[in-house]
Amino acid sequence: MMRSRGNLTKAAVVTILAGVAFGAGEIRKEFRYSVGPKATVSVTNQYGPVSVRPIAGNQVIVTAVLNSDKVEVDQNQTGNRVNMFSRLLPGADGETGKVEYDLQVPSDANVMLHSNTGPLSAEGLTGEIAMEGTTAAVEVRNVDDAHVHIKTLDGPVTLTNVQKGHVEITSVSGDVNLNQVNGMLVEVNSNSGKIHYDGNFGDNGQYRLMSNTGDIEAFAPDTASIDVSARSIHGQVENDFRLEPEQTTPFLMRAESAFSGTLGKAASSVKLHSFSGKIHLKKRSTKSK
Amino acid sequence: MTEAGGRQDARISEAEAIERAKLGDSDAFRILYDLHKRRVYSLCLRMTANTAQAEDLTQEAFLQLFRKIGTFRGESAFSTWLHRMAVNVVLMQLRKKNLPVVSLEETLEGEEEAPRKEPGAPDPKLAGSIDRLHLQRALEELPPGYRTIFLLHDVEGYEHNEIAAMINCSIGNSKSQLHKARMKLRSLLKANKTEAAGRR
Amino acid sequence: MNCAEFQELLPEILDSGETSESKVHAHSCKECSELYAELREISQAALLLRGVEEPNLRVWNSIEITLRQEGLIRDAALAGPALVPGHSRNWRLAWLVPIAALLVVMTSGIAIFQRNSQPQSIANLTPISTADGGTAEDQEILRAIGERTPTLRATYAADLQNINSYIRDAQDSLKNDPGDEEAQRALMGAYEQRAMVYEMAFERPLP
Repeated sequence: MMRSRGNLTKAAVVTILAGVAFGAGEIRKEFRYSVGPKATVSVTNQYGPVSVRPIAGNQVIVTAVLNSDKVEVDQNQTGNRVNMFSRLLPGADGETGKVEYDLQVPSDANVMLHSNTGPLSAEGLTGEIAMEGTTAAVEVRNVDDAHVHIKTLDGPVTLTNVQKGHVEITSVSGDVNLNQVNGMLVEVNSNSGKIHYDGNFGDNGQYRLMSNTGDIEAFAPDTASIDVSARSIHGQVENDFRLEPEQTTPFLMRAESAFSGTLGKAASSVKLHSFSGKIHLKKRSTKSK
Repeated sequence: MTEAGGRQDARISEAEAIERAKLGDSDAFRILYDLHKRRVYSLCLRMTANTAQAEDLTQEAFLQLFRKIGTFRGESAFSTWLHRMAVNVVLMQLRKKNLPVVSLEETLEGEEEAPRKEPGAPDPKLAGSIDRLHLQRALEELPPGYRTIFLLHDVEGYEHNEIAAMINCSIGNSKSQLHKARMKLRSLLKANKTEAAGRR
Repeated sequence: MNCAEFQELLPEILDSGETSESKVHAHSCKECSELYAELREISQAALLLRGVEEPNLRVWNSIEITLRQEGLIRDAALAGPALVPGHSRNWRLAWLVPIAALLVVMTSGIAIFQRNSQPQSIANLTPISTADGGTAEDQEILRAIGERTPTLRATYAADLQNINSYIRDAQDSLKNDPGDEEAQRALMGAYEQRAMVYEMAFERPLP
């Protein structure tokens, strides 16, 4: 995390390499910054992909490929914070205004990525990850002990191997896929997007998967230790497990629209709720390949 | 008393956040809130067993803390300072709203209840079978006075002299109430286990 | 030491540890040994309850609003570089987003924020609708998006329609059962989605 300004001795070092004609009309630029621990890197890019991966050392290296001269990259560094911003010039559209960003950052960096079209991707990080897209596909993988915040209107979201995490996803119509995602809090708030979870529901966490009309499908192993409640007001629910019955439930249960109970020591809390989506809690061994 | 998984890095950022919060930095307040919100909220929720009240009390606890953050000198760990303040806020608010906090009369009445037990039924063993959910359920069934003592001592880790000061009772009383709370929980856990077995 | 003495000393034993006398007695008395083991397990299991619950986002929103009103939070640009991703908007009005969300919620009749109101009030309050079903605020958003990024207008329109449908579903559920906590949470989730859409629309940079 940031040291006080008085102690931060590393000056911002920016190297802009020569703009090289990359393809027809494309321009490639590279920026390098020296940063301290837990730097913050922010990229705002209306059109085009942004990917982030870790690099050893105390540098942030940004490679930007601009699709035309109708877009420019504004960048600055203030202390331990690096900002990149794609500025559209008059006449720019979704193609001519496109910039492709590739970021290499220290693994403990905090990253904030915004894009309308994306896709957005991040892997191998341990800091805060915030991603926001309109139609952008979002992917996060191999992240440990990190906070992951994702907001999307209808871009699909895929998280893979996110361990000991704090995950909050809000999606209106984008599908959300969580594969081996475990942590103290895993929360998905979806509207019509489908939610698919395949993991252990581990870490004594709170798992809350909610939708309006989107179906919710959750795979868990026989050894899961969960206190689960599932409810769909107008949709169907299915459950492959034999649950220990709960003594009290907060809502009136109709057999076909709700179930609740515990497995094992009920270490984690799992809530699967939908208004009209179908909910299915499946045993991993029965997952169709 | 930081959240589970707190690291050296988090403690460094907390110190920085405290100094910046004194200057009015909103991000710094948010960091401090995120670091401690679960601990404070869980305590409020367990003491009130009501989500809405717990959220109100959590909000009030943090507001009181943030209003006084300018006076924090770092003599003790920030989390300790915050937690004490949160507990005091919860207790004060519960008293103000005439919600039960600790009542010797209630706890004495609790003593006279016989444990629920079917005549002739085997006494279920608890060792190795206590999980969070069942303990949580049993805690909700405890009389409020027992619940407060158990929460403060066994869940939150306060010593009896601290509890006695907080709720204005003697150290001996705190110890004896804790023991009764544990005995009552044992009784509830066994009874609930018997009921669950009977439903199968 | 007999059973009565052992059980009288049990609170001290649990807090301070066993004595040689208590160990001898526990070794020879199954009932006291079981009692000690079970009470110790209860005490240790208590840690499972520590800090596991997460407060709703609205708690922080309310705190932030109050801190700003009391002048305890000053402009982020003056306080220095941002510390937290997602809260680093160098945009003076960014703090209004939680207030906007709160106002949206309040004008659309969420009794949840009004702890003393009657639950029936939810059923009686509806958003101000335009002819095509969206709220006036929605139309303003779509107009602005249409001018700025026309290719995204259809996406915003469809999603706002989904969100409004979600809000109506949750409100209907609450009419049937005002105490339904999950329906309340779903309604808050729907409003969070709407606030997210507004935030995205307002913060998209202009070309």
